Amino acid sequence: MAGKPMVAICWLGSCGGCDEAVVDLNEAILDVANAVDIIFWPVAMDFKYHHLEAKRDGEIALSIINGHVRNSEQEEVAKLLRKKSQLVLAFGACACFGGTPGMANFRTKQDVFNWVYREAPTVVNPKRNYPQPKSKVNGKELSLPEFYEKVYALNQIIDVDYYLPGCPPPPDLTANAIYAVVEGRLPPKGTTLAPDKALCDTCNRNATKPSRISLSDIKRIHEVEASPDTCFLAQGILCLGPAVRSGCGEACMNINIPCRGCFGPVQGVEDAGAKFISALAAMLEAENDKDIRQLIEKIGDVPGYLYRFSAPVSALSQKQV
Amino acid sequence: MSNSEPKIVCFSCKFGWGYLGSEAALSSQVKNWIPIICSGKIDAQYILDAFRQGADGVLVLGCPEGDCHFQDGNVESKKRIYLLQKVLEAYGIEPERVRIELSLDPEGKKIPELVKKMSGTVKKLGPMKVLASR
Repeated sequence: MAGKPMVAICWLGSCGGCDEAVVDLNEAILDVANAVDIIFWPVAMDFKYHHLEAKRDGEIALSIINGHVRNSEQEEVAKLLRKKSQLVLAFGACACFGGTPGMANFRTKQDVFNWVYREAPTVVNPKRNYPQPKSKVNGKELSLPEFYEKVYALNQIIDVDYYLPGCPPPPDLTANAIYAVVEGRLPPKGTTLAPDKALCDTCNRNATKPSRISLSDIKRIHEVEASPDTCFLAQGILCLGPAVRSGCGEACMNINIPCRGCFGPVQGVEDAGAKFISALAAMLEAENDKDIRQLIEKIGDVPGYLYRFSAPVSALSQKQV
Repeated sequence: MSNSEPKIVCFSCKFGWGYLGSEAALSSQVKNWIPIICSGKIDAQYILDAFRQGADGVLVLGCPEGDCHFQDGNVESKKRIYLLQKVLEAYGIEPERVRIELSLDPEGKKIPELVKKMSGTVKKLGPMKVLASR
C-alpha cells in the first residue's frame, strides 16, 4: 500500500453517471487500482466521511470530484476534499459548469420546492410540508443538509486544478487524466484535459457541412428521420458542434443525436451560450422582424439550448447576496 | 439608483450614425458612447461584458435594413440581440435592457435623444441585478 498515490473519487450533486464512467474503464481500472490507492469512493466502496477527516492535509494526491454543489453537505465534502488533496479534478459537466441540474438556476428555490413537494401530479403531501434543515421527531432533533438558492459549479465553491468535462467524460480521457497525475505529466493549472478543437472539426459528418448554413426552419430531432451521416445543421436540426469542445468521441453523433454541448466551450471562451448566439444568429435565415422572431420561437427553449450544461457559470449568473 | 441616472452603453455604427457630427461634442453629451464599424461587430459577449461592468441598459444603433456596408451586419446584430433577450429573461433580467434600432442619422443628433429615451425605459425597470464577477 505504502508509496502509492492516494486517490479519492466523490460525487456531489450527481446522477452517478460519472462514477459509472470510471467503472467504464473496464479492465484498465485494474491497472489504475494497481497504480493508485483509492481511499474514498462512496458509490463503490465503504468509506465514511470520518475516514477522510482522519487524513492529513494534502495527503491525498488527487480528488476526482463529480457533480454540482447545491446543498450544505456537498459544500462541506468539497471543502474537506480540497483541504486533504494536492490536486482536485472537476470531473464531468456538472462539476465543471453546473451541468443539466444547473438549468434549475432559471427558477427560484421556491419554484423548485413548490413543484417537487407540492404541485407535481405524482406528489401526495396533504400537510404541504417542505423538507426542513432541522425538525423534531419524538422529541429528537433530526437534521438535513440545507438546500441552497442555486446550483454552483465546483470552482465556485473550491479551488479546482484541472477540468475534464463531459456527460459523462469518456474512458480514454479519464484514464489519461489519472495517469497524468500518477506519472507527473501535469499541464498548467486550470487546464481542461480534453482537445482544444471544436466538435465540428472532428465530426465524421463534417464533409457534408455546407460552407454557409442557412436555417429557414428549425426541426427537433424527434420530428424528423435524420440522416445518419449528414451534418445535422444541414438538415435543419440544431447542433452545438460549432461552439463546443471536442473530445467526447462523437458519442451522440454516432447514435444520430445532435450535440447538446456537454464538453462546454472551446479554450478561451468564457460564456458558452453567448458564443453560440453568434454562431446561431448567422445561421438563421430571416431578415425582417417577424420572420426572425418566428424562427426563434421555433427553437422553443432558447436559454435551455444555449446553456444546457453551463447555466451556473454564465456571465449572466447573478452575484449571491 | 432611484435618484441617479441609469448607465446606458450605446454602440453605434459609424457608417450610419454621427459621421458628420463632431465626435467630441457627441461624446460629451452621451456618456459611454462607443462608435463602432458595423453593428454586426457587436457580439452577445460584448453586451454581457457591458452589463457585468455595471451597465443598466445597452442600446445598439445600426444602419437601416438593406443599407449595411457589409451586406447584413445590422440584421446579424438584430438576430443576436433577439436571441440574447430570450436568455436575459431566463436569468430574470428584463429584455428591454437591450435594444437595437436600425435607422440613419449622419449628424448624430438623435443619439442623445435615443439614449435618454432608453434611460427612461431602464429607470422604470429599476437597478440592474449585480452579476457575479470572475
